[in-house]
Amino acid sequence: MTSTPAGGAAAPSPAAVRIFHLSKSYVAGKFALHNISFEVAKGEFLFLTGPSGAGKTTLLKLLFAAERPSEGQIILRGRNIARLRETGIPKLRRRVGVVFQDFKLLARRTLEENVRIALEVVGTPVREARARTFSILKQVGLQERRHHYPLSLSGGEQQRVAIARALVNQPEILLADEPTGNLDAELTLEIMDLLVGAAARGTTVLVATHDRRLIDHYRKRTLVLEGGRLVRDVPAGGRSA
Amino acid sequence: MRVLTFPRILVASALRGLRASPVTAVVGALTLAITLVLVGTFGLALLNMRDLLERVGSDITLSAYLSPDLSESERANLRERIASVEGVESIEYVSPEQARERFEAGVGARLPLLEGLEENPLPAAFEISLLPEARTPAGLRIAVESIEGLRGVDDLGYGLEWVESYARLVSLFGVAATGLSVIMALAALLIVSNTIHLAFYARRDELTILSIVGASRTFMALPFVMEGFVQGAVGGLLALGCLYTGFLLVIPAVTSGLALLFGHAEPQFFSTLEGGALVAGGALLGVLGSVLALAGSRLR
Repeated sequence: MTSTPAGGAAAPSPAAVRIFHLSKSYVAGKFALHNISFEVAKGEFLFLTGPSGAGKTTLLKLLFAAERPSEGQIILRGRNIARLRETGIPKLRRRVGVVFQDFKLLARRTLEENVRIALEVVGTPVREARARTFSILKQVGLQERRHHYPLSLSGGEQQRVAIARALVNQPEILLADEPTGNLDAELTLEIMDLLVGAAARGTTVLVATHDRRLIDHYRKRTLVLEGGRLVRDVPAGGRSA
Repeated sequence: MRVLTFPRILVASALRGLRASPVTAVVGALTLAITLVLVGTFGLALLNMRDLLERVGSDITLSAYLSPDLSESERANLRERIASVEGVESIEYVSPEQARERFEAGVGARLPLLEGLEENPLPAAFEISLLPEARTPAGLRIAVESIEGLRGVDDLGYGLEWVESYARLVSLFGVAATGLSVIMALAALLIVSNTIHLAFYARRDELTILSIVGASRTFMALPFVMEGFVQGAVGGLLALGCLYTGFLLVIPAVTSGLALLFGHAEPQFFSTLEGGALVAGGALLGVLGSVLALAGSRLR
């Protein structure tokens, strides 16, 4: 599969992510991902879909250097992160927000503290961190509950906190792995709207999901993975099937 | 601003960690305290043994007992020759009469051995003091070998064998205590390292999240190093407190026995610097334990 420009864009945007011949193998001869190539434009919203084991999560893990590729290149801002040194990984992750299906919030910390953790690791001064945390919690509609603990919130609210944490550092890229997997239909749309909104504000968003209804609803560009291979690149406005 | 922000966050994180797993933190601190009490006991014993050796050494005098038929000029000649021996500081002549007086004032007061003797059996002697640098078993030996062959010296009184044996004992004890202390410190190090490992485990969710949001390895590791430091320093302070309490309780009972053996005894406790070194040693063990645990971890 060759690289494909972002579908539906009036003018071509510079690529936020370029992936060339990317492969990942955990066992010799067996590929979780095999020879994947594509580009994602800055501010583009992209779905990654496919059945379980297709390689969606592996691809996201490679993008935030939780895994290292076996072959190929991942170019972010002109740098090949496949060759990133161990010490360079934290710097990469400050530019890449990640949202998980299971939220990954700290139960013993308030919502505010859960979000602020992303600012603390980069040494943001306390006042600035408080202000930015308040602002992002307001954006996801949880500023009034900032002193609450995650377990007192619904699943949708917890995911909104996780999105706030991922966005508070204004990342260039937001990766979401089945972000609505644990949520009902109404909350799913609520969360997806937040992610689409982030893309509209210039963040490149990649969402891994196997939920066909979501893809049909938003009609964004969709990469279809099967058995670790990229089998289809459906442009925005196209049909996923 | 960042310079101030990071330490505040790291200290808060370390304190949060200590609060999150207080049992493991207390176990770590107590383990170090017990180890340091044992190491400190060895240290105190060694300190006092060396102090005693120094004091006994500084008291060392040689008594050169003179032939009764020595003329005054021969005695003066002998005195000059002894004065020229390496390490000799001063020489005092003790006549037979003075020797008897001293004996009767000392041992004779309790055991009237000379009572009833018309003739004074005690010979004249030179009491020879050594220079401070010569008050060692080696220095004493040089002086003894130079003086004992001199004409006019019938006999030489000194405590060389006792001092040498005691010095050997102190040296041997020092080596054994150091060896045991190192072994115990290593054992404590492994236990502290293990408690920090448990702290890792207890906070693995937090570490995962920190890693995802871009925390550096140092940022994640430093709170654990600080926890190790606090555990070690608290362990050191506890050990110092226990040792001092033990010293106050045990020493009155031991002092009288030591005084009987050595004539005088003033057991010493650690100086402020030595006590500080014990606490710092505990903190260092805590830090090393943390570093050891971090080296075996997969923080990334």
